Amino acid sequence: MAPAANGVEEQEISSSLEDYLETIYLLVQEQGFARVKDVARARDVKAASVSIALRKLAELALVRYERREYIALTPDGEKAGRRVFSRHRLLTRFFEEVLSMKSEAASEQACAMEHSLTDEAMVRLVRFFEFLGTCPSVVESFRQCPLARDGKAALSDVSRACTMCSKKSEEASMSLAELRPGQGATVAKIGATGALRQRLLDMGVLPETPIEVERVGLGGDPFWVRCQGARLALRRNEASSIMVHAVVETASK
Amino acid sequence: MLAAATPIASQFPGREIRVALAGNPNCGKTSLFNALTGARQHVANYAGVTVERRSGSCSLGDNLIEVVDLPGTYSLSSYSPEERVAQDELTAAPDVVVVVVDSTQLQRHLVLLGQLMQTGVRLVLCLNMADEARGAGQKLDLALMEKLLGFPVVETVGHRAQGVAALKEAIARVVAAAPAPSRLVLGETMDEALAAIRPHLPSTTGAIFASDWMATRLLLDDHYYAGRMAGLPGGPVALEQARQQRERIQARTGLDIAVFVSGCYYGFAQGLLREVCTQPCRPNARQLTDRIDAVLVHRWFGLPIFALVMYAIFWLTFKVGEIPMGWIELGMQWLGGLVGGLWPADSPSLLRSLLVDGAIAGVGGVIVFLPNIVLLFLGLAFLEDTGYMARAAFLTDRLMHRFGLHGKSFIPMLSGFGCSVPGIMATRTLESHRDRVITMLVLPLMSCGARLTIWMLLIPAFFPPAWRAPMLWFIYAVGIGLALLLALLLRKTLMRGDDSPFVMELPPYRLPTLRSVPIRMMERSGLYLRKAGTTILGISILLWAATSFPRPPSHAIAAVAAASVSSVAKAAAKTAEPAPPSPEELGKQAAAEKLEYSVAGRIGHGLEPVFKPLGFDWKIVTAMIGAFAAKEVFVAQMGIVYSIADGDKGSEGLRRVLARDYSPLVGFSLMLFLLIGMPCMATVAVTRRESGKWSYALLQLGGLTALAYISSLLVYQIGKLIV
Repeated sequence: MAPAANGVEEQEISSSLEDYLETIYLLVQEQGFARVKDVARARDVKAASVSIALRKLAELALVRYERREYIALTPDGEKAGRRVFSRHRLLTRFFEEVLSMKSEAASEQACAMEHSLTDEAMVRLVRFFEFLGTCPSVVESFRQCPLARDGKAALSDVSRACTMCSKKSEEASMSLAELRPGQGATVAKIGATGALRQRLLDMGVLPETPIEVERVGLGGDPFWVRCQGARLALRRNEASSIMVHAVVETASK
Repeated sequence: MLAAATPIASQFPGREIRVALAGNPNCGKTSLFNALTGARQHVANYAGVTVERRSGSCSLGDNLIEVVDLPGTYSLSSYSPEERVAQDELTAAPDVVVVVVDSTQLQRHLVLLGQLMQTGVRLVLCLNMADEARGAGQKLDLALMEKLLGFPVVETVGHRAQGVAALKEAIARVVAAAPAPSRLVLGETMDEALAAIRPHLPSTTGAIFASDWMATRLLLDDHYYAGRMAGLPGGPVALEQARQQRERIQARTGLDIAVFVSGCYYGFAQGLLREVCTQPCRPNARQLTDRIDAVLVHRWFGLPIFALVMYAIFWLTFKVGEIPMGWIELGMQWLGGLVGGLWPADSPSLLRSLLVDGAIAGVGGVIVFLPNIVLLFLGLAFLEDTGYMARAAFLTDRLMHRFGLHGKSFIPMLSGFGCSVPGIMATRTLESHRDRVITMLVLPLMSCGARLTIWMLLIPAFFPPAWRAPMLWFIYAVGIGLALLLALLLRKTLMRGDDSPFVMELPPYRLPTLRSVPIRMMERSGLYLRKAGTTILGISILLWAATSFPRPPSHAIAAVAAASVSSVAKAAAKTAEPAPPSPEELGKQAAAEKLEYSVAGRIGHGLEPVFKPLGFDWKIVTAMIGAFAAKEVFVAQMGIVYSIADGDKGSEGLRRVLARDYSPLVGFSLMLFLLIGMPCMATVAVTRRESGKWSYALLQLGGLTALAYISSLLVYQIGKLIV
């Protein structure tokens, strides 16, 4: 096994070697140094196993293992160790904070997953996690959702149970009357009450269903929309009581 | 079938099985109903509302099935009269409810099924338009569907009467079996709420009051049922439970309760379809409708095409209709002659006059419009059954909405140019009662075909040739303008309230069937004929009496005749063309004097001071009383008052006399009055019938007449100052 260029070798080292790197990285961070016996204790293995692994890591130029006692990470080794550790920390937090797992189980699960995620998946997961950090209400409403609690809710309960989302989308969305012919969107909220609301619901205009404006009468009224396969005509007034989000162009012309 | 007959017979000894057909609008329910019952059907109105109750019957083994076609509704809420009627039929506990759905629109149409499953009645699901769905590539596992739902599922093609035998067989099966517990799945949150309300529902007032459906109505805070429940034992407790559950759900889900409950039903429909639909409809399967719409509802061509379509229908109605109208007129004349011939020619028999001049002439004058009505409704039924009617409403709604009307008001109002009666009958397509009443009330302002004969008499009499066409146009325009303004006024005053929601489904285009169009046409014609036979016959006789009684004593006639002769001689002397009056003219003179002597003539005289400020004399007023029977009678009555032979043939003579006696200003004032005021008795009668209340009919009669009086008064008085 010839040592290859850095970027490639990082992906080629085995999970257990990654674990060793992570452990060494952690020990160095915590106590300033790492010895074989520290590593063996931390990973609950024999010192001999540690030595074999260290030799492999040294071959890959990730650690310097010359003196018999202390282990030093090369810059590449430190990078690789930090990478694995940050993955571990992020995944643990995800299992713990978002999915409400116990911290031990979360850490174990993180250990299992941290090696197999590709960089792309990781980057995306980080972004998602960062998004959750900026928008804690999402986590909150997910927790309130009956499906998150006991996994026994019907579809209708789940998709519409998100308090925060409906509030958020209400702020962010526009009304159906603002769409042009050839634009589609997703229904966020029905602002109407009484007979009109019931009529719209009966016609299939529900939150989270796609709706599309196909044409508008001369002078901008009434609207001709399609929703759940049905063609509906409604006045601007009625259309403006339907709040939508996620506007997309749908015109095939 | 025979095998099934025995168990039913034992279950329902000697009585019919009551079946209700429920379904969304445009699910093909009516054609299925026609296929089930054939011609054995009966149309009536539900008490207090103008919703048709359509029922019929067919046989099933030894039993008779009594089928009620419920009004098409999207759900079982209680906002519209149709929905309320459908609910009331359900509370009457039919033996079986057949839920008819459009197989190509399953997801939306199954929502109603979900609601009905809650009521606990025995159900049969009828997948109508199965051919279309199959053509679009949809595949359903019917056996699994039956298993999951727990009641029979049948595929039908209503307009081709396919699957009717299977449907009857399914009805037999379900009637014979004990009602199965509902297998409806609405989700945990909903189930919890229903379980909390259920034990508090009263158990003594009928099964439906204790059903999950009722619990759902209460949960939704449905005022109609909340009100009824409040008075029942245990009702207030149930209401309180419902309130708590409502608040719990809203707090937990953050959703409005109506949105949440609808979501539950849709969830059920989606879940069911996920299981049984092995292959959905191809999404582009309905492209034909889209391609047609691209032309018919085109941004610029849509309205011109609509104008052409309406022109074609009116041409059919009034041009083609003239031919059978001629036959009816001849038939009525023949009948009048036949009945009159029972008496000697100059018999003063009252009975003869009553029959010939009152009943036959009066009812004949109304029946003569029957071909118009049949043809107009043939055209309108065609428009409605193809799905174009909804497009027309889409195209015209913007204009109509400005005046507080609805897109669907347009076609009835347009029909009013032909005759107000079918126009008013066509307002049934309007869903909101308020829109319907406003349209009916202003509809007589659309200058009808009968009034055209008046304009043909009056305009040439008073206006020079160059003015005549613009004048005719102007009269029509005044009518339209006033109709729209009056609609707006009514909307702002008597008929105040929020706009009824304009949310309308535009159904896919379908070819109407040869079965449904004639049935609908015959219904409307039947209603019209029944009206002609009752109310209109009564008013005709009343009017006949008013124009015939009291009769002048015979010596008075002679004296009057003599006086007339001398006056005619004087007039003749004036024109320097002495001609002795012929016996025929003497007869006309006598008729004129008879009319003057009658109640109508006296009323005319009596009302003269009232109408003087409008420029009318007693002759005009007397003729207008006749115009109440039918507008075109005005021409004939003027002829009688002026002793000019038959209004049509002698219209030149009549025009000369009119031009001599009245100024063009009076002529215009008179035209305005006849345009606006006094809708004819057929119109008033049909308004009463269609609106359900005499008060609306009388408002129409009184309001329009008052408006006519004021308009004519202003025109005449201001005109007098200027001229």
